[in-house]
Amino acid sequence: MNPVLAGILAVLGLTLVKATPLIYAALGGVLSERSGVVNIGLEGIMIAGAFTAVVVSGLSGSPLVGALAGVLAGAGVAALLAFAATRLGVDQIVAGTGLNIAALAAAAFGLVLIYHQPGASREVPAFGHAGENMLILLAFLAAAALHVVLTRTPWGLHVRACGEDPSAAEAAGIDALRTRFTAVVIGGAIAALGGVYLSLAELDLYSDGMTAGRGFIALAAVIFGRWTPFGATGAALFFGFFAALQYSLQRAGVPSELMQALPYLAALVALAGFAGRVRAPAADGVPYVRQ
Amino acid sequence: MRRRFGAVQAVDGVDLELLPGEIHALVGENGAGKSTLAAIAYGAVRADEGTVEALGVVGLVHQHFKLIERLRVWENVLLNREPKRGWTIDVPAARARVLELAAKYGLAVDPDAVVETLPVGIKQRVELLRELDREPAVLLLDEPTAALAPSEIASFFETVRGLAARGTAVLVVTHKLAEVIAYSQRVTVMRAGAVVARHLTGETNADAIAREMVGGEVPALATRAATEPAVLLEAHGLSATSGTSALTDVTFAVRAGEIVGIAGIEGNGQSALADALAGIVPFTGELRLAGVVLRPDDSPAARLARGIRVIPQDRRREALVLDWDVCDNVVLGRQRTLPRAGYDAAAREVIERFDVRPPDPGAIVGMLSGGNQQKVVVGRLLSGAPKLVVAYQPTRGIDIGAAALVQSRLIEARNAGAGVLLISFELDEIFACADRVLVIAGGAFVGSFDRAAIDRGRIGALMAGGRA
Repeated sequence: MNPVLAGILAVLGLTLVKATPLIYAALGGVLSERSGVVNIGLEGIMIAGAFTAVVVSGLSGSPLVGALAGVLAGAGVAALLAFAATRLGVDQIVAGTGLNIAALAAAAFGLVLIYHQPGASREVPAFGHAGENMLILLAFLAAAALHVVLTRTPWGLHVRACGEDPSAAEAAGIDALRTRFTAVVIGGAIAALGGVYLSLAELDLYSDGMTAGRGFIALAAVIFGRWTPFGATGAALFFGFFAALQYSLQRAGVPSELMQALPYLAALVALAGFAGRVRAPAADGVPYVRQ
Repeated sequence: MRRRFGAVQAVDGVDLELLPGEIHALVGENGAGKSTLAAIAYGAVRADEGTVEALGVVGLVHQHFKLIERLRVWENVLLNREPKRGWTIDVPAARARVLELAAKYGLAVDPDAVVETLPVGIKQRVELLRELDREPAVLLLDEPTAALAPSEIASFFETVRGLAARGTAVLVVTHKLAEVIAYSQRVTVMRAGAVVARHLTGETNADAIAREMVGGEVPALATRAATEPAVLLEAHGLSATSGTSALTDVTFAVRAGEIVGIAGIEGNGQSALADALAGIVPFTGELRLAGVVLRPDDSPAARLARGIRVIPQDRRREALVLDWDVCDNVVLGRQRTLPRAGYDAAAREVIERFDVRPPDPGAIVGMLSGGNQQKVVVGRLLSGAPKLVVAYQPTRGIDIGAAALVQSRLIEARNAGAGVLLISFELDEIFACADRVLVIAGGAFVGSFDRAAIDRGRIGALMAGGRA
């Protein structure tokens, strides 16, 4: 095969691999933010998903059970954020940032507690190649499903109403706080799959800091994707492409330190060029307090 | 019914009875408790004392629309009452239901239009349709015509009459006495939270109601002093766009010591005109203030520094920080020129001159009534010695007393030598204040009348002609 063509195909394949965790996290972010809750905690939710999935897979011997546990853990972390955001009315950025730090530290502590070693867990039963492909496919199906839910179901309409104007939504008899809570928790479950993918599909262990800021890149993808499931998926593929390119160019001898910055630079440039031209949901990040 | 907000007894022992099929007007001064009473009847506010009984659903159309701007018309109308097919929304059925409602009540709308793209008059239809979909036995309308053009008002009340004819009890909360006389069967007058008079509309008249509302004589407008007009603002071939509002190639002048009224139906370029003068949007063409050429891309601050003051249409969004107190709002925009020690005096001056109630510089602006909020806005902008005042719907949704006060202060600014551009959708306001009337339609000026030669019929026809 033509080496150039082979190289291009390799980059494209790797793009899917690198984009998938971003897609899950970005979809979780889209659902949360469309309901009006800014989810800075995506990174922490991914960590919770990745770590819990490894632990439970190791205990049960089943990566599927592990994945399920990871999803539940992500939903649980998201529930903390949702509770803080809807019931306590705290600043969502502060709450999300706190969750990120807490999740990272808790996972590092968990490594020592469970595996008696810092840095990484031992290897556990993982999905393997077929399972990885399934998870990649599932990411795209999840995007389509979320699109349908947001645009075609009553609940999706209520979520959007709460993200735009929760007091008007309540005037129509919608429980804005409950709708936001549910959206954030389901969003957390979806985002956690991104973490599960990293620890049980791309690898077969949890290592400290393995999410490497993907939760934040996913946040950029939410904005770049104009808060829509398909847009966010496209943006995740765009960032995934630069991550894949980085690997390929590293092999070609370009300094790795520079290349590792590539996806982040791409996110920065994309957002800078986009600023002012996109509009977040009108009540995104604004705590709703009943009169 | 009684309802207290803090130290204010907003509604004090009011009894009100609405009959099926009647249009009942509830009138009163700024802060008389009309809106609170309506909110209690709707159930949005709890009464401290008293009960509400209704033979069916109660609907309320708010003065400040409760629409979700970025959702579609059908999504707003049917929010939380969506027709379903399985677990999804039956979108064709939703669309059909909105069209059917619209046809039934003569309120034409495009169900797929995004609300934020619609003019105010259509937004109100959407708001009304949303309430009508619930088939209310009682419909409360809070200042429903505050933002409507003359022709829209007539057709709006045609719709309301149709509703009443179907047996709905309609309560119209308003301060526009001409509408009370023309369309209601009974009228209840409130002052300071209590009912002061009840009439069959046919047995009273606008002057009598106005006296009952104010509790005395209606304040007369300030008298117009003789001025020596010299050209202040000259516009040549001015074009601008602001959102969906467009102004195309207009040439006009405003002289110092004159009020120029811009008569027109909403959505004919008024917003572009106001925003271009305010420095919110750039313009093309030439604009001179006292002979000095204005840069097309000046910031609002630069225009302010030149003595141009714009009273915006939407005081809540464009003029006030609702969470701040009166003092900070009075100072806003002047904080660089006014010494810190002068803030309180500046606030008290505005409170005094404009009769802001309560007379407390520390009162949170968001808690004030609309009329008092507007007094704060106009008070701030007329402070100092403005050269050019652009007043865009300066009395929108406020009562007679506050409106007369705002209009009087504009006339006084004119007497003191300012040029005033009064953009209003209410012809009565323009006729009461303006030295000259320009008619705007389709983004251009289509007629000009001196005060002595004002012809209401022709102006109305010119306004409507530009829209087709």
